[in-house]
Parts: sequence; C-alpha cells; structure tokens
Amino acid sequence: MTTTRRGLLQFLGGSAVGALFTPAPWRLITDTALWSENWPGIPRPARGEIRAKFTNCSLCTAGCAVRARSVGDQPVALAGVAGGLCPFGLTAHHLPYHPARLKQGPVKEAAAAVADAIAQCGPSEHVAVLDLRPGRTASWTYRRAMASVHNGLYLAPPEPTVAVNLRNAKTVLSLGAPLLDGWGTPADVFAARDGFRLIQAEPIESRTAALADQWIVWDRPPGLSADATSLSALAQAIAGEMTVSEAATITGLPADQIQSLVKELKDNGPALVVDSEMSPAVVALNVRLGSWGRTIGPRQEAPVPESWKKAAPRTDLAAVPDRSIRVLLIDESTPGEYLPWESIEKKLAANAVVGAFAPWTQGYGRHAQYVLPTAVYPEALDDIPPAIDSVAAAFRIAAPLVAPPAGMVSPVEFIAGAAGLPASDALRERADAIHKAGRGTLVTYADGKSIPVKDVKPEDFWKSLNAGARWVDGALGAAVAAAGVASGLGGADPLVRSRPPGRLSAPAQQADEGVGSGPGGPPHYPLTIVTESRAAFLSSPLLSQIYQESNLRLAPNRIALHPTDAASSGIADGAHAFLETRDGKREVQVTVDSSVRPGVVLVVGQTDTASSGAKVVRI
Amino acid sequence: MRGIIPFVAGAAIALSAGWAGFPYAIYKSRPQPVDFSHRVHAEKAGAKCEDCHAFRNDGTFAGIPSLDKCTGCHAAAMGTTAAEKNFIDQYVTPQREPQWAAYARQPENVFFSHIAHVKLGQVKCETCHGDQGSTDKLPRYQEDRISGYSRDIWGTAGRPGMTMDNCVDCHRKQKLEREHSCLECHK
Ligand code: SF4
Repeated sequence: MTTTRRGLLQFLGGSAVGALFTPAPWRLITDTALWSENWPGIPRPARGEIRAKFTNCSLCTAGCAVRARSVGDQPVALAGVAGGLCPFGLTAHHLPYHPARLKQGPVKEAAAAVADAIAQCGPSEHVAVLDLRPGRTASWTYRRAMASVHNGLYLAPPEPTVAVNLRNAKTVLSLGAPLLDGWGTPADVFAARDGFRLIQAEPIESRTAALADQWIVWDRPPGLSADATSLSALAQAIAGEMTVSEAATITGLPADQIQSLVKELKDNGPALVVDSEMSPAVVALNVRLGSWGRTIGPRQEAPVPESWKKAAPRTDLAAVPDRSIRVLLIDESTPGEYLPWESIEKKLAANAVVGAFAPWTQGYGRHAQYVLPTAVYPEALDDIPPAIDSVAAAFRIAAPLVAPPAGMVSPVEFIAGAAGLPASDALRERADAIHKAGRGTLVTYADGKSIPVKDVKPEDFWKSLNAGARWVDGALGAAVAAAGVASGLGGADPLVRSRPPGRLSAPAQQADEGVGSGPGGPPHYPLTIVTESRAAFLSSPLLSQIYQESNLRLAPNRIALHPTDAASSGIADGAHAFLETRDGKREVQVTVDSSVRPGVVLVVGQTDTASSGAKVVRI
Repeated sequence: MRGIIPFVAGAAIALSAGWAGFPYAIYKSRPQPVDFSHRVHAEKAGAKCEDCHAFRNDGTFAGIPSLDKCTGCHAAAMGTTAAEKNFIDQYVTPQREPQWAAYARQPENVFFSHIAHVKLGQVKCETCHGDQGSTDKLPRYQEDRISGYSRDIWGTAGRPGMTMDNCVDCHRKQKLEREHSCLECHK
C-alpha cells in the first residue's frame, strides 16, 4: 500500500477528530489556564505559622504601637494596638520592597574618604553630622561622636521644647497646626477630640480646618507661627491690657471675632493654643492663659547614661559659616525634617566629602558623593523621639519585624566608627540607664499589662522593649495602660508642673520678624509665605511615591500660588521659578492652586523662610 | 471506501493515545523521601491523625509534621528495618527536614481552611484523604506537568483532585451555600 498525500491528510484529519473525543485537548486547555494562575511571575504568599509580633512604628514621632500579623517571619498585615494607625503606618510593611530601594553602596570607599577628609580637616573646617530626626538614641551617639572629633558639629532641626495635653483641653486654638492631620499621635488626638472645641485659624481650608468646630480665615499675619506681634496682641487682649479694637488692628482679625475668641479662651478653659512648631510666642500665650502645667508643659526626655552627657550641642545649620564643612554625613535613614539642599550646599567647603545614609535612591543621595544603603522600618532597629503630645518621657523601640537585606549600613556604627567612638549597643545602654533610674512603668502590648520598672529585671526589661512595649515615666504609665496602651502617651494626668521658662512667663514682645508683618510689608516682597504642615514624614523621600510624585501634597521643592498671583508673575502650573526672600533664593517648581489664598505662597516643611516676605520670579 | 481507512486509523490511534497514553504522560511522579507507614504509626504507636497533623493555637493547620515531631520518638532508630535506618541516617542524624511532597497542597492562589472543614463542617479526615491513614506505604506523588497540581489529594488516581471543579462538586453534593463565592477561597 502506497502512502499518498491524500491518505496522509485523511489520517491527520481522522487523528484530529479522534483527539477531540479524548480528554487530551480539553485537559491541555484547563492545565494551561491553571498554570497561568500560578506562573512564576505572580507573588507567592508567605506560608507558615501565623503569629502576632509587636513593635512601634518609627515613620513619625507618634510612634504608634503596632501589632503585626506575620506568617512565618513575614509581616503581612499591620494594625494599631488599641488604637489606629495612619495609612502610612498601615502599609509600612511594603516599604522594604519599594522600587527605589537602595540595595548596595560603596561602604569601604566612603569610610576611607571620610577618614582621609577628617584627618586633613583644616583648623577652621568642620566635620558635621546632619541628623534629620533628632531626639533619638542615635542622635545622642552622633552628638557624642561629634564631641570627640576636632571641630565636630551636630546639626539638626530644632526640637519642640514643650508637650501638649489635648485630653485636658476644653478649647484649642490652632494657628495653622495640622492638628487632625498627623501633628500629634492620631489615636490619641482623635480619642481626645470630643473633649475640646477646636478653632482652626489659617488661610487655607486644610483638612484640619474642614474638621474643626470653627475655621477662622486668618491670612494676616501669614506666617502665623512666627507672628509674635499678633500673638502678643491677642495675649494682651486676653489680659485686658489692650482693647479689642487695638488687637483687631494688629492681628487683622475683625473685632467681634477677637472678642469671641478672647471670651472663649478665657471662659471655656483649660485652653490651649498651638502652632506647628510650638513657637515661643505661642508658648507665652499659653502661659498667659494659665495653661502651663495643665494643657502644656515642658517636653520630657528619657534618662541617658551619665557618660553620654559630654556631647556636642545642637547647632543650627544657619549658624554654620559658609564653605566651612569639610565632611558632612547626613542620616536620612528614618523619615524626618527636610532642609533644602541649597541651604546645605552653601555651607560645604569646596573639597567637602558628603555621605548620605538612606534607604532610597532619592533624597540627599542625589547630591552626596557616597550614598550608603540603610535598613528601613520595619527592618531597622531604632528608637522614637517623643511626639508633641507625649506628656511624659517615654522610650519606645521600633524592633525589626523582618531582617534587613545583606549589605545594609548602620549610620550609627559608621559615624561612631569614623569618630573613633568605641563600639557599643547604645539602645541597650539607654534601656539599662532607664531601668537603673527605677522610675516609670513598662507597658507591654501583647498582654496590655503595665508593670513598675522596679519590679522588672534589666534583662526582662530589654527583652520586653524589643518584643513590643514602651517605657513611660512616672504615674502616667498606668494611665496609658488604662487608656488601652493606644499609641501615644496622652493621659488624663496633669503635665509636669515645672515653672514655665522664664523668658516665656510674660507675653512675647519680640519685635515682629514676620513677613509682611505690617500692612505695608516690604514692597518688593509682595507675597507672604505660609508653611504647610510640619508633619515631617509627609515630606520625606519615603512617601514621595504616594504624595509628592502624584502632587497630592507639596514636595519640598514645590510651592503653591493662587492663579492670580501666578498669572501676575507670568508663571504656569509646573513651571520652574526662583522663590526669593530677604535671606536668599532657591529654585522651586510651582503648583498653581486656587485653594491657596491670593497673596500667599505656600511652602512645605521648613520654617526658616516663614518669617519673611517673598516673591516668585519666573526662570 | 478505501479512502476512509487512513481517516479511521488516525482517529483510532488518536483515541487510544488520548484515552490510554495521555493520562499517564501528563503526570510526572516521584517517590516520597521516606518510606512511611501510617498503619504502623496508627496501630503500634496508637497515634491519631491530629497527633501529628495538628492545628496550631491560631487555628491554622500545621500540615505535615516537621522533623522535630518525628524525633520526639525517633531520636534513635526504633527497629532494624531499612526504612528506619534510611530515615535516621539521612534525616535525623544530619537534622535535615525530609522534603515531603504534599498530595493535598493547595496552589498559591487558593486559600483552604482546614479548620473550617474539620471543626465547623464536621468533615472527617477520611472524606478527603481516604484510607491514607491506614496504608502501609505512601504512594508516589504525581504532579501535573503543566499546571503543577497534585493529581489527587490522597495519592491514588481517581480520587478527589485538586481542581476547583472538585471543590465545587463536593460543596454541591453537600448542598452547601456559597459554592460560587469566589472570595471564600481566592482571597
Ligand atoms: S501616625 Fe506616624 S507612627 Fe503612627 S502609624 Fe502613622 S506614620 Fe506610623
């Protein structure tokens, strides 16, 4: 029998028809579909024992208590302990997988370059550490390190000197502070919210203004926090030393509004006046209102070992002579304050060595010669400085929930090593110092118990802190535990009743440095600067993906103008321009936003410009 | 008439290959790493299913026990069989976890709650895992070459399989509601 082409085709046709009556083609379709649901590209959920781990969120100073649901060693969901987390905290277990994550860096080269530069540092040159989140144990190490090198400087943004207690307040006047928007500890602020009447005074309808009981559109003075004259006028009106109409002229508010404000602050106490950074003028006003020790008091710090106290003081970047920093090491491993690069750059010597410690490829790493990768929350071991509404000293550790990848650098070890400090476990030493002081209470999250520190052994104290706990000073610890260990430390107790700082015990009379402070203002600076939220983490490179790249909030290099001001300067939305103040100028990108008040330029983060008028010049 | 012969021959070959050859060719199989007898453990040691295949405190199912559990009794050889010697030499002494192939392991896109079936639904282990608990030898593990799924959930061909159809069939038979509730299983 010969094989013909026709016969072959008939055979193939028969095979095809026959195959249709077998499971093979249908099974292949099903299997391919199943394979496509599980192919190598899809994420693999972790498998293993489901456990709860506890830690504290270090993304901002609120330091919320966190319960992490972990499968094996992998955290898969974060939640607050008896209180909420903000959206950033809730999703923080994704941060280690951020696409901009830095995975390696020239560690040896950086160490050699820094050592060389320190050795060659001239007599008028400085070695400096820029700590963007002061108040941590790491900050103490930096200060000690800088005390041990010749001409060492510890640079850091100022820390608030006071703490507020919203639970004790009946009336709160907020001068542009983002009170309900990440300024304090969210769980505590909202827990206390029903107990006080909130009057929000600011030029734009912020989220806090929208949620306040009353919103006062106070666009003059514009740099509210810096406008000591207006606050002083308000204080004098409260004390009856100035008439309401005089205060109205100075503050720019209608007389009847001043009248009702004064009445409310006086009659519905305890009152509290806040601004973003609790400026001296605001503290003075609180003192005048009799709020010291009730709704506001000094900020407390957890004990530190005696031997640490020989540490370099904080130096303001502005106070450093230009072109004098030979070595600058910037710790931006945790979200903190942002300083414009222009203000840093002018302080650098021509041959300066700049190293940045960062988990991301963005941030100051763009300007540094050496960018060294660091662990990020929830991989990093760090402690958290007290929040603005922490009425008692506290010590909280952000214990790692996952191991950091190989090759991460510890900025503390690097800087201590470069300065020749002997290697030590500073967090442990601090915990031991706290334990030795024998004060306060250990509040553990897993069981919600609070135990007096004197009843806990040092080893157990350290273990508990690493397993999700906080130390709270004094009797407040018990109050915190009773309140459900939530997140912050605001208890019902009064604040520490120390004497108010002397310079604050009288109404502030400082000369007004504010911008635009008088109606006339300098004519060549027609715009007034208003700083947006000081919730520093929002302007951190950490959250740039969410907020800054999508322009939901102003990035540090952006300003916002009302369309009429933008038009009169000939600037379009997204255009680059110079923001000029009497202190200098820097390049910015402009967002044109009709929610900004006319005559105002809205900037983010830094307050060093908030006291001056400004103009925006098209590039 | 002669023209139909190649057609019929082709159809016959495809039918026999599709019905007789394909079901075997689509699977690859491998033996379990240890020659394990459920029967010996159940009868001689009096072990119950849940003694080794336990629920954790949080309700998750621990599945196949880890070496720690085995070494609770097998820290040293218990008997002189070749299987016991192999187990001690290969796994217990070097503290190496046996790489068991789990017949019932769910793919990554499925969430299966053992405790919901066993405690809430009162489904007996045997309903899904058959007589596995009384067998003398673990059958070879058979895995679909394309989908990577286990052939069935107790190691013998023709038993309930791992596909969604199998789940839905059972739920239908039990007249359970929510048989089409996607997010129950695909969370
Ligand atoms: S408020 Fe701050 S500490 Fe609390 S969860 Fe959010 S980022 Fe973390």
